[in-house]
Amino acid sequence: MNNILAIAHKELKSYFSTPIAYIVIGFFALLWGYFFWVMLLYFNQQSQLGGLGGGGSVDMNQQLIRPLFLNATVILLFLLPLITMRTYSEEKRSGTIELLLTSPLTDFQIITGKFLGAMGLYAAMLGVTVIHMVLLFSYGNPEWRPVVTGYIGLLLMGGCFISVGLFISSLTKNQIVSGIVTFGVFLLLWVINWPASFVGPTTQSVLNYLSITDHFDDFTKGILDTKHLVYYFSVISFGLFLTARAVDTERWRG
Amino acid sequence: MIEVQHLTKRYGPVTAVDDVSFTVERGEILGFLGPNGAGKTTTMRVLTGYMPPSEGKAIVAGYDVFDQPLEAKRRTGYLPETPPLYPDMTVREYLTFVARIKSVPRNDCTKRIGDMMERTRITDVADRHCGKLSKGYRQRVGLAQAMLHNPDVLILDEPTAGLDPKQIIETRELIKGLAGDHTIILSTHILPEVSQTCQRIVIINKGKIVAVDTPDNLTSRLRGSETMYLQVDAQGADAAEALQRVPGVTRVGIADARDSVTGFEVDSATGRDVRRELAAVIVGRGWGLLEMRPMRMSLEDVFLQLTTQDAAAQAAPAEEVTHE
Repeated sequence: MNNILAIAHKELKSYFSTPIAYIVIGFFALLWGYFFWVMLLYFNQQSQLGGLGGGGSVDMNQQLIRPLFLNATVILLFLLPLITMRTYSEEKRSGTIELLLTSPLTDFQIITGKFLGAMGLYAAMLGVTVIHMVLLFSYGNPEWRPVVTGYIGLLLMGGCFISVGLFISSLTKNQIVSGIVTFGVFLLLWVINWPASFVGPTTQSVLNYLSITDHFDDFTKGILDTKHLVYYFSVISFGLFLTARAVDTERWRG
Repeated sequence: MIEVQHLTKRYGPVTAVDDVSFTVERGEILGFLGPNGAGKTTTMRVLTGYMPPSEGKAIVAGYDVFDQPLEAKRRTGYLPETPPLYPDMTVREYLTFVARIKSVPRNDCTKRIGDMMERTRITDVADRHCGKLSKGYRQRVGLAQAMLHNPDVLILDEPTAGLDPKQIIETRELIKGLAGDHTIILSTHILPEVSQTCQRIVIINKGKIVAVDTPDNLTSRLRGSETMYLQVDAQGADAAEALQRVPGVTRVGIADARDSVTGFEVDSATGRDVRRELAAVIVGRGWGLLEMRPMRMSLEDVFLQLTTQDAAAQAAPAEEVTHE
């Protein structure tokens, strides 16, 4: 455990000693803030219409917080590759991987450490958005459950992306290649269920199941469904497992 | 302490290390010598558990590096060819991280790091970023990293590469000082280095071991005859003829000549000391004997002889040499 934390700590520190952490967190805050502002304008308009007796009640959770969470997904697609692209690639390029692989560490410890390090930065990123939530809670009275489950969902969904990104990073020593491929794969995972309504029921359910972003929907509604939890944890474990295989294969190939 | 048995490593169709076996005793410094691409780094990488062998096995400090990698790694310190430094960390941060992943006890950590920085003379750069260090400092931080957990076995891949002459001498002294407590394998292609630091040498070429011996034995083993260098205050042709007539002398060659001083290389049969006769002849003729010294075959010559294929077959007849 100590070893895992040592690696995680090192990863986190290296994010913050390079511009990466600041750029990623900065842009995330900017984009989230922008979405927040736009959706607040829209929400205000809706509630004024509602106040005029236009029918239908306004719900801050449904009409402000939920769309905000769903839009955050798109920001993650762009920003998370920046977090994961260097994790393994940089170590391979600079040769520091030799230090890790010849130290008394297991692959599992190295990979878990790296995963937790990236998750740490991601959590810090999400931490910024708490400010907006505090504002909403102090001026309105949204329900807290969907907010909490939304954050849990965001963390898990991000975890899936990070573990897939980690795997891709372990395949190449070129950060740029790693970043671009990761971004491409994320996009594919996002749009994979778009043809779902045009295909047969079996294919449809398979496609929907594969879409990492689709499973997030229920979290934003305040539902903590085991089905989705199992899905997310499986994807994370699978990504980490593939990373371990890749590291091991690399070792044999030399 | 280190036992390598029939180690073979293939990268696809390329055999980088081919059936290599050797042992290193506790406290010994073994020099690993070979041209670039001979398989030194690959062998070291297998020994440190960085990669598994294709065939054969390696036992370090009593543990098989493949079956019990953690135990073996705990007892091994490794300095790769490029020191594995994180450019964004300061030297102190870096060593602290290394201490953590190598399970150096926490309460001992600060003291051990200070100690190691002292020994490798990097205390003055303790708070500089690793990425900003000169090559010499990087190399020494790498060395500190390898020794930090006080391992039984140290494996150093070209530890003096990129150092200036003063640093090279300091590093050599440091490594020599470590022998005894530590068993050391160091690779290099700088020959004086091995003859000065190592007790035994393994010469490797194209993945195969071509010789294992002490530096002295290696140089004498390959010397077919004794060679003497003489500097005589006399005309070349005249003196050469006189020297040639000394019993036991097999060949006389003129090495250099300027003004009236001539330098000769005189070969004689092995085991026959012709120095007295040579001196007597020269003095008897009334010439001045300005210099006389035995010429030993340098390790460079040994190395070149061994690593060119024909010589390799001759020096190690038991080994089958493949021609690729």
